[in-house]
Amino acid sequence: MKVAFPGLTSIQSAGLILGVIGLFVPLLLPLDSLSVAGQLSLGIFFMAAIFWMFEPIPIFATSMLVILLQIVLLSAQGPVYTNAELPVDKPVTLEDHNWQIPSSAIRDDETIIVAVAPGETESIEVEIIDRNGKHVIVRSTELTSDHAVITRPEHRLVNYKPNSYTDYLGTLANPIIILFLGGFMLAEASVKYNLDKNLTRYLLHPFGSQPRFIVLGLMLVTAVLSAFMSNTATAAMMITVILPIIAQLEPGDRFKYGLALSIPIAANIGGITTPIGTPPNAIVIAALTEYGISISFTDWIIITAPLVLVMLLFSWWLLLTLFPPSVKRFQLIMEGTFSLSPKAVGLYVIFGITVLLWVTENSHGIPSSMVAFLPVAALVTGGILNKNDIRKLPWEVLWLMAGGISLGIGMDKTGLAVWMISAMDWSSLGYIALILAFSAVAMIMSNFLSNTVTATLLMPLVISLHVSGIMGDQFNLVITGVIIAVACSLAMALPISTPPNAIAMSTGIFRTKDMAKMGIIIGIVGVMLILAYAIFFWPLVIN
Amino acid sequence: MKTSDIYILCIEDEHEVLDAVVRDLEKLEDQFPVETATSAEEASEVIGKLLEENKKIGLVLCDHILPGENGIELLIELHKNEKTHNTRKVLLTGQAGLDDTVKALNQARLHHYIAKPWSKEELLEVAVELLTDYVIEQEENILPYMSSLNANRLSESIRTRRSVSDG
Repeated sequence: MKVAFPGLTSIQSAGLILGVIGLFVPLLLPLDSLSVAGQLSLGIFFMAAIFWMFEPIPIFATSMLVILLQIVLLSAQGPVYTNAELPVDKPVTLEDHNWQIPSSAIRDDETIIVAVAPGETESIEVEIIDRNGKHVIVRSTELTSDHAVITRPEHRLVNYKPNSYTDYLGTLANPIIILFLGGFMLAEASVKYNLDKNLTRYLLHPFGSQPRFIVLGLMLVTAVLSAFMSNTATAAMMITVILPIIAQLEPGDRFKYGLALSIPIAANIGGITTPIGTPPNAIVIAALTEYGISISFTDWIIITAPLVLVMLLFSWWLLLTLFPPSVKRFQLIMEGTFSLSPKAVGLYVIFGITVLLWVTENSHGIPSSMVAFLPVAALVTGGILNKNDIRKLPWEVLWLMAGGISLGIGMDKTGLAVWMISAMDWSSLGYIALILAFSAVAMIMSNFLSNTVTATLLMPLVISLHVSGIMGDQFNLVITGVIIAVACSLAMALPISTPPNAIAMSTGIFRTKDMAKMGIIIGIVGVMLILAYAIFFWPLVIN
Repeated sequence: MKTSDIYILCIEDEHEVLDAVVRDLEKLEDQFPVETATSAEEASEVIGKLLEENKKIGLVLCDHILPGENGIELLIELHKNEKTHNTRKVLLTGQAGLDDTVKALNQARLHHYIAKPWSKEELLEVAVELLTDYVIEQEENILPYMSSLNANRLSESIRTRRSVSDG
């Protein structure tokens, strides 16, 4: 029997039910080692993960729901924590380090909790001398009369200091989101004035008419554009470039598979190159920033570009090997001229200055998010983008990222992330095995889930693995974060893996198995390459 | 190919001609089911039934001279009906005079005029382009139509309208 909610498939319906159950399950389970806030946060995490996997609602809607639940359940102003006060009592001094305290304060392991500072508590071991109804007489040398004994150790404020709801709402104005907003507005204006197409035409020119070099050109240009624009918009634009080429080929010619596959592959890989290239990069950078590590635009390029270049060249070689060119040369048909209207020229100038300031961040030190507000403000001031253009921006992507960042903040603040880490025995894993595990897990998840969602679910674990110190000095937080971002973007075995894959697949030029073959080889080589860079190259450029 | 809920409707009173139209549109039929009618009254019935089932009518190819109500009147009715307002409308005719054609253009916002006899290529191309327009204008997810309709224009619309975005 198939049961489904109206408008949903039965799988989505199952996801909807599971997600709602997931929200409440942690509160019903005996999770003594996790604070109440941690349990609430775990519920939100379960619900978000399930909703993101089954998609009963759009992934950005799940992100918004996460923020709503966090401000209601976790924030200092929400109904759960507003007016909440720790139940405390002063210990009554008897003689010889003997104290009388309320019996409810004693936990099973003969410890009590005392409040040290707001949100900070300490556990003190006590020796029980005498039980006396509501009170207990204990001996302890650590306890002083300044201490406030917490009378209900299971209270929701124990081990948790709720932060303001503005921290969760504020994720939409997180510097990395503003960086993306700048990128989005530049991309929007580029499309409006055909800068992307004209640049493509101009950049492809030197690659001549030999098929192998045209493919290389297509891939390099796609990668460069998708490093600054959305991978999806770049792929859609490049598809319009290759369709006329494919029309020149014989119907049964396998070379067209390679041509059509080159676009999504290059778009997916190209997105790795800059912080604004693709949303998973933002999730990683935001999580690192939250932890106090800032990665500049320049740093990110230095870290990722060498890997991107090798992956592109490898994919190019692989495409030409699997789908060799059948013709000696063909014609690239692209028409158009750079518009020289004042507004278009204004865009070129703003685009040039912004990108220049971004990539040279290390030499002048102006944070890239600050630079990003230059195009945001200048493009509308100059009338290059108008009200309607701004409405067309992909706001749902910004909300998707904001919800992801917010989820990470909640997991960190409530102690959930550290708790999840401690539930597993990591020390048996060596550092190399850990890197392999993270890149493989990220890649497998991201083949089926949104790249952003994968990064969102994994980054809190990476951060707390570092905080907990389980892995020792060898563990490098930045490298592990970069691995997550890179592995998410290198997952491209299925049409559903990324939007560029879906677009290319929908043209019907190649078969699913062609994409799967390329994607699996790229994935395996990608993991190997990640491992090699993590061991030999990244330690040199990250200190 | 997955069948969509967008229908093509052909209205023509001569059976041989109707068969020829349907045959020429064969390539599209997998994705866009073709319904036929031999009079304006029958067409209205078919449309009513389809709309009741929440189907959409993407394209109407209509002969001018029909028994009873003529094709122009039918197209004007479709234009006035909110649910078929966006349907692409084609007049397929050999005899329509200037007055009727102008009327169809002005009052039914006729999208295309195909004179009989037509060539298969012409008819198919017109259908593909008009359905591409319809899909770009009306559909939220246009990817399923890339391989059967004008992929170039659909990709271009993804680029400019951002109906698909990074996730």
